Amino acid sequence: MRASPEEQRDPASPDLPAEQPDFSPEGVDLTLIRWMLSLTPAQRLEVLQSAIASLQRMKHDRHPD
Amino acid sequence: MTVTRTDFHKILKVLVEEQVEFIVVGGVCAVLHGAPVTTFDLGLVHARDPENIQRLIKALQRLDARCRATGHRVLRPQTDRLKTGGHQLLLTAAGPLDLLGEIGAGRGFVELLDHAEKCRLGPDLTIRLLKLEMLIRSKEEAAREKDHAVLAILRRTLAEKRKQD
Repeated sequence: MRASPEEQRDPASPDLPAEQPDFSPEGVDLTLIRWMLSLTPAQRLEVLQSAIASLQRMKHDRHPD
Repeated sequence: MTVTRTDFHKILKVLVEEQVEFIVVGGVCAVLHGAPVTTFDLGLVHARDPENIQRLIKALQRLDARCRATGHRVLRPQTDRLKTGGHQLLLTAAGPLDLLGEIGAGRGFVELLDHAEKCRLGPDLTIRLLKLEMLIRSKEEAAREKDHAVLAILRRTLAEKRKQD
């Protein structure tokens, strides 16, 4: 699977002008869209299921307040 | 409440194995098109002819499907309801599954078939997926509050996709 948008950003050269905007005018993260589009449909489904599993794990492990 | 590990791939595989005719819609459809959204249920529009309903019931039995929001009572999906344009919200052994007779402005499987495309999810799993353009249209038609934020992401995903094509 390809690197996520955060991993793709180069912290050593933050001043370089971005070729494309990271966000749309209404605030949609375009880097996430481009990353998702770089994956196959099967990989996209895997990303979704991993996210759900991760959230379920966090909810399960969360200590009561 | 029992927490089941969500496995959309498994649900789809059982449906395909039982030769159920369906189109994936909703959040999973958006994700498969590349939209970075999260969803907790799999939404499908199923064909409502009697033969398909029988195949669907068989698949749902394999998935141990029961109606959500019935408390401790176990209520199995009903054939009569699956024949209507209404929605059956189910919980299966592989996660939540929403069976939708119609979406948007009253579009069922027959009306949506021309707006669906094949999507390969593995060597033995190919499904029908609602095209992104129609997914956007059906959400615009539904005009629900919860769809507003997602619509912005879907429209941008479509625009980025078109740039790449």
